[in-house]
Amino acid sequence: MGTYLAKRVFLIVPTLLGVAAVVFLVMRVIPGDVALLILGGDSSGNIDKVQLAAMHHQLGLDQPLIVQFGAWLWGVVRFDFGASLWTGRPVIEELLGRLPLSLELAFLATLVSVAIAIPFGILAAARQDTWVDYLIRMVSIGGLAIPSFWVGILIILLLVIYFGWGPPLEFTWPWVDPWANFQQMFWPVVTVGYRYAAVTTRMTRSTMLEVLRDDYIRTAWAKGLMERAVLIRHALKNAMLPVITLVGTEFAFLIGGLVVTETVFTLNGVGRFVVDAVAHRDYPVVQALVFLIALCFVVVNLLIDVTYAWLDPRIRYH
Amino acid sequence: MTTGTRRHRTWLTALVLALALGAAIAAPASAAQASDTPRRGGVLLAVIGADPPSLDPHQESTFANIELVAPLYSTLLQLDPYHYPKIIGDLATEWKISSDGLTYTFKIRQGVRFHDGSALTAVDVKASYDKIIFPPQGVRSTRKNAYTAVKQVDAPDAATVVFTLKFPSASLLENLASPWNVIYPKSYLDKDPNYFKTHVVGSGPFKFKNYTRGSTFEGERNPDYFIKDRPYLDGYKFYISPETSVRAAAIRSGRAYIEFRNLPNADVESIKKQLGDKIAVQETPMTGEWGIAINNTVKPFNDVRVRKALTLGIDRYTMAKVLAPLTGLKYVGGLMRPGSDWAMPQAELEKLPGFGRDMDKNRAEARKLLAEAGYPNGLKVELKNRNVKLPYQDFAVFLIQEWRKIGVEVEHRPLETAAWFSDGQDTGNFQLMVAPTVEFMDEPDQFLGRYATGSTQNWGRFSDPRVDDLFSRQARTLDAGERKRLMNEMEKIVLENAYFMPGLWWSRNLVHWSKVKNYIAPPNHYTNQKLQDVWLAED
Amino acid sequence: MSVQYPLAQAAPAPTVPRLTWGSECWSFVRKKPLGAAGAAIITGMLFVAIFATALAPYDAYTPDYGASFERPTAAHWFGTDEFGRDVLSRVIYGARIALFVGFVASFVGCTLGALLGVTSAYAGGKVDLALERVMDILLAFPLLILALAIASVLGPAVHNVVVAIAIPIIPRAARVVRSAALSVKENQYVEAARSLGAAARRVIFQHILPNVAAPYIIMLTAQLGSAILTEAALSYLGLGTAEPTPSWGLMLSGSASSYAEKAPWIALFPGIAISLAVFGFNLFGDSLRDVLDPKLRRKG
Repeated sequence: MGTYLAKRVFLIVPTLLGVAAVVFLVMRVIPGDVALLILGGDSSGNIDKVQLAAMHHQLGLDQPLIVQFGAWLWGVVRFDFGASLWTGRPVIEELLGRLPLSLELAFLATLVSVAIAIPFGILAAARQDTWVDYLIRMVSIGGLAIPSFWVGILIILLLVIYFGWGPPLEFTWPWVDPWANFQQMFWPVVTVGYRYAAVTTRMTRSTMLEVLRDDYIRTAWAKGLMERAVLIRHALKNAMLPVITLVGTEFAFLIGGLVVTETVFTLNGVGRFVVDAVAHRDYPVVQALVFLIALCFVVVNLLIDVTYAWLDPRIRYH
Repeated sequence: MTTGTRRHRTWLTALVLALALGAAIAAPASAAQASDTPRRGGVLLAVIGADPPSLDPHQESTFANIELVAPLYSTLLQLDPYHYPKIIGDLATEWKISSDGLTYTFKIRQGVRFHDGSALTAVDVKASYDKIIFPPQGVRSTRKNAYTAVKQVDAPDAATVVFTLKFPSASLLENLASPWNVIYPKSYLDKDPNYFKTHVVGSGPFKFKNYTRGSTFEGERNPDYFIKDRPYLDGYKFYISPETSVRAAAIRSGRAYIEFRNLPNADVESIKKQLGDKIAVQETPMTGEWGIAINNTVKPFNDVRVRKALTLGIDRYTMAKVLAPLTGLKYVGGLMRPGSDWAMPQAELEKLPGFGRDMDKNRAEARKLLAEAGYPNGLKVELKNRNVKLPYQDFAVFLIQEWRKIGVEVEHRPLETAAWFSDGQDTGNFQLMVAPTVEFMDEPDQFLGRYATGSTQNWGRFSDPRVDDLFSRQARTLDAGERKRLMNEMEKIVLENAYFMPGLWWSRNLVHWSKVKNYIAPPNHYTNQKLQDVWLAED
Repeated sequence: MSVQYPLAQAAPAPTVPRLTWGSECWSFVRKKPLGAAGAAIITGMLFVAIFATALAPYDAYTPDYGASFERPTAAHWFGTDEFGRDVLSRVIYGARIALFVGFVASFVGCTLGALLGVTSAYAGGKVDLALERVMDILLAFPLLILALAIASVLGPAVHNVVVAIAIPIIPRAARVVRSAALSVKENQYVEAARSLGAAARRVIFQHILPNVAAPYIIMLTAQLGSAILTEAALSYLGLGTAEPTPSWGLMLSGSASSYAEKAPWIALFPGIAISLAVFGFNLFGDSLRDVLDPKLRRKG
């Protein structure tokens, strides 16, 4: 077990390094210059070439790429992700300011999705190929099929047209003003949660179906235990592993992936921050965020795989 | 006698009735006047589409900066909010220009205090302008090049500032009225000239309260403002919301009262339909123009015939009619804003290629020119653009269809903002490029500088010594009539050679709740942002 | 590091599915009406896409400003957009783009991924380790940045969008296929064959490929719908196709919010089209998975 764990942890390093290198290179391939954007302002401003060069120097952009990459890596090792090229403020500071909102959104959305998905997934599996199954599958697939950016805007529009109501435009902590927080979070959580519920329902259904075919379940049937007891105690435990896998990795994705939701519902979250940083060619911010999200992904996967390995010894000796 | 008394009484009744009637008429009038008295109090809630890299207007050029911080500062001169484009003083009470145009002397208002309590004197004005015109190492000054005429700035006493010039500059006064040239306290600048990128110490009607990046920006009333009884508002708060339709919804739901930049016509219609009189829309022509930059250094665009053909092929008058309801691009004009003092008279404009009314004739000539240039069967070109729908994409859709009529096939390549800017400004990697020109006032130097050789705004990278000569001459001509003549001549050369293709001039919709009073929308979204005269009729 | 495909059990030897097309199709329709509905939708869309030129009443590209914002009438069944273009024609031509993007991106991504997955599983050892790292990197890489890079460098054209969408599919397909290939590799038949000296190619084609066929097909259909949605999202962000291309995502992006009240048909019909396409692909894929996955078949 120890060696397996050590090996897996060791393998994280090249992955993260690889991600960092690829993002670094790809961002620099894309045309665009943050210094030009700042000096230029809204449109074709009269830009002083000397000032532009000075800015490049100040931002460290005139150094050879390998030096820039090395310097950044060195910083990461010491938990220093550098300063934003756009604002000059430390990346971590900018990130931490937006993280709580994204965390709350991700957490609540996951909660909603799991609360919907598990019961309905189990139900669909237990009643495979009946109208219950069809209905659940149709509703969940239907939810997945509608483009998310469309839904968000439509919701806001309908609320405004019919109720003259718009969600609050700034974030308040739930313990400061729970009602304001609820008003801002409700619709985004519902929109996001519903989509993830759809994905998770399908996963739950399929893993439940597999487990229900397993021999030991059939043995339990043969022994005459009540259906519900069989389902819940035996099948559920085993079916949950892949579902937990899915929920775990999706949670990592939710933190940085909800750009459209954040834009439409005016949420100052991490997703929008990343997109803005990409638009501004703010390299340190993009690199840091991609790195951190990849780290989340990788750590979550590691935890899951370790859990699998712990439960199924065959894997360790693979 | 009874007859006499009755006549008396009738007369008296008539008088009373007349008085009553008069009072009835006068009462609403005086009530209206009473409602015109500004109400104190309330916080102005606004939405804005972005936040700026820093809080220092000297270093930024985006509306996102100036809208947020303008209420916190004062400038030396300003544009009169009620009589554009007149220039009035803010911190300056009076000024004199020497007869040779080389010395500008300003008298500074006494008794002004910064928000930290210290007094504002001429040395602060000098220090701020030194930072703008002669920025120290490591400090950027985005508009430095507008002041090449200035030799030095002096503060001979606490109430006087003197600008000494190397040569006369026709635009200096206008540039000094720039909303970006805020005055900082010297003591802070001495310690760290970049202090104001992240901090605010101003002398404006409002004091800085709070800024949460990506979310909100707040200011509160300055009780010691140098204009007595101002501001009326208790404070202001901006919400940052990048999506246009979401901002429109915010206004509609009343979460915000005003959007200072622009809302598209479609959103304005919907808001008006739902809220009726509760909403006021100020539509103003804008000091901004959308055109097409042609890369004069690559084939076939180095051939004047090809360029002329392209500009002849655009029916600008139909374009204005068609694009105005969709995008706000409304006015046909040359290089200076139509309707402004500097615009070329319409009759003259129509003689230039691309502005004539007879489109059949124009298109025939365009085809002829293309054939002469070696393209009898048409031409394939690439139009680069910014990937923003309004007005960029809609503008391109019209152009593509127009050029097809003269046999020019267009490949449309929208680029992300940073890439668009980089290709246009930096590398010149394009054939045709949609390029806007937006400034804070109708100043010829600001609008025409981009046609001079080597200007970084000269995306088309063309060079014509006649244009350069006329430009530098008009910059130094103090006589308005002569200046206009020079400018028009320069414009004619640019348009006759189609170095650049102007498209249409913009009009914007400034939308706000009717309860927001006394805000006059200027023809741009940079000036009149101090909010000192704005009041709310109700909370 | 398996994600979606559940733990491979050391089960009895996997049966190689024998498909006779006729009987399988018919039983599919009978037993899986949802899947059949999905298949019907897909077939309908294919038909529209292939015969677009004949079906579309108007030109999808040319503006007609005099006819802007017309409500759905007999002349324009789906109304016209802000440029006066017929929405129905644009939706019909849009089917071509959507299906092209969906099929090609999914096929290219899944096939490349499958090849890598099989190679990784079969070669094992260092090759496997290295390939897994590469897949991890691709997996963690945000689609947005990739799409932006491709759009900036190559231009906002349909075929470039396909590349941008295909690349993230590769690691996902690779993982799934690798899992399936690994489970086969373990079993005794293959061990026996290899110890008898059977050529690698024989082992792969006779034993491994049939077993990965099922997950491959399932992945393929699953990614189809997702590819169409991704194209829509990229066009919304301005990184997909460009005006005046009649792509459904592009039609939603500009008009959705501003004209939603004045002329809701502009965004409504492309939105329905996208939803219907994705819905159809997912329904079909879901039921296909139920049929093909040996573990999910109802026994007896």
